[in-house]
Amino acid sequence: MMRFKTLLKHPADWMTGHTAETSVVVTSRVRLARNIRNAPFPGWARKNQRRELLESLHGKLEALPEMKRGFSHELSSLDSLQKQVLVERHLISREQAARNEGSATVVNRKQTLSLMVNEEDHLRIQAIRPSLQLKEAYHLAHKVDQALEKELPYAFHPKWGYLTACPTNLGTGMRASSMLHLPGLVLSDQIGQVLKGIAKLGLAVRGLYGEGTESLGNLYQISNQSTLGESENDILARLSKVIGDVARYESQAREKLMTDDPLMVQDHIGRAAGILTYARIIASKEALTHLSMLRLGADLGVMPEELVETCDRLFMETQPAHLQWDAGSKLEPDARDIMRAQMIRDQLRSALPPAIDISGNKH
Amino acid sequence: MKCDLCEEKATVFYTQIADGKLKKFVLCETCAQEKGITNPDGLLMAEQVLDHTLSVPEAEAISLGSSTECSTCGFGIGNYQKVGRFGCPDCYDAFAREVSERIPTLHKGDAHVGYIPAGLVATQARDARLRDIKSRLLKAIDAENYEEAGRLRDELERVNPVVAENPVAESDL
Repeated sequence: MMRFKTLLKHPADWMTGHTAETSVVVTSRVRLARNIRNAPFPGWARKNQRRELLESLHGKLEALPEMKRGFSHELSSLDSLQKQVLVERHLISREQAARNEGSATVVNRKQTLSLMVNEEDHLRIQAIRPSLQLKEAYHLAHKVDQALEKELPYAFHPKWGYLTACPTNLGTGMRASSMLHLPGLVLSDQIGQVLKGIAKLGLAVRGLYGEGTESLGNLYQISNQSTLGESENDILARLSKVIGDVARYESQAREKLMTDDPLMVQDHIGRAAGILTYARIIASKEALTHLSMLRLGADLGVMPEELVETCDRLFMETQPAHLQWDAGSKLEPDARDIMRAQMIRDQLRSALPPAIDISGNKH
Repeated sequence: MKCDLCEEKATVFYTQIADGKLKKFVLCETCAQEKGITNPDGLLMAEQVLDHTLSVPEAEAISLGSSTECSTCGFGIGNYQKVGRFGCPDCYDAFAREVSERIPTLHKGDAHVGYIPAGLVATQARDARLRDIKSRLLKAIDAENYEEAGRLRDELERVNPVVAENPVAESDL
């Protein structure tokens, strides 16, 4: 089994390999909610019932060929920092991070598949792919689902489909979402309209870390709301179309900005580069804002192309838990801000070397 | 819990959110019918019942059937109103009425369309075939067509040896 350290040392499969397709749609995720017949849902189950369910599932999940040499841990064996790191990597949900006894997570080596036991539901199967690849992500999750349904007595209702703890997930139990980077729509003040339009289509828009989180770094998650009354394929097709449309609006907005007001765009990108290459103390929110502009600059060809991947990596590695894990100790917010600035400068140095050394060290 | 208007046991729970204000009341079946609460189409319920005046953008009525608790897991419907989640898969049968009322506010449709677990498809297909053979078998016995009945009995045994032991005793055909 893979150790936590090893998991963190390797970037997830979907974090590397930047292409033109990932310039707007960064990742696509699909998760399936599944429950076992005759067992209380995790939120209502007693501790021993949760543990029993975990015991009956855990071995079967670890034995899946997809999970070979993967990462498998009970949440109770991870400390709060480790759990937070997994949340920042989107490998477990915030909800599961709050759970302990009888809850577990199994992640494959490439970090493209994660199985959560006793989160809100008994089992959640999640797959992540880069760019707009919702169907591919679904097939990945579906394959695991098909292997497991042979061994697990799923709770399935003839009328309401897969039964879930919350009726918002009834039916397919499928939530599909893509993460989009939309600085063009934000800078051109069109984002509000686009988000309203998405909501009108019955789809949900959320910030970086799901439900109830604000948008940081111009990153938005678009997902399906309804799970009952529409087949998986129809949901995925409808969602893919809307996401493709939004991505196109974003590209058009970027082009228009560069034609109509190139100076404004250059100003944003230039300031971001200046702050990130020289700042000594930087908070997470400010860092994300400027990294977003730098990423835009790289996408537009104003900045070195390699910066897209650097920015994506920094989006994650400058998050509070990743920073503390990297430092090897718990850090107060002030200390984190110093370390974050340092990490950003270090990683940008090769592409954006600072013109002068402001540390006051004599040469 | 007692009805807000009389001493009977309350079985209808009403929650209204209007202008950011939350109003709740509980009624017994009789009072609820009198006030027309069992008809979820009616808005302005709080006004009709409690005599307040407000413009109401949204209202939601949750009326209860006979079960207030799931017999499998002991989960009470009151909990659902608090946490928005059920206790176990069987709660969906216990609180079928609440679920049916809630679904239109959450989903595009009211019945599952899409993937069905493969094992279940096979089981359902087998069950349908069993039902078909059994009904033909009963007809054959009724018609005293024992040759046909014997043939069907053999077929039943091939599809499901356990059920074939006593096919006619199963009344739920």
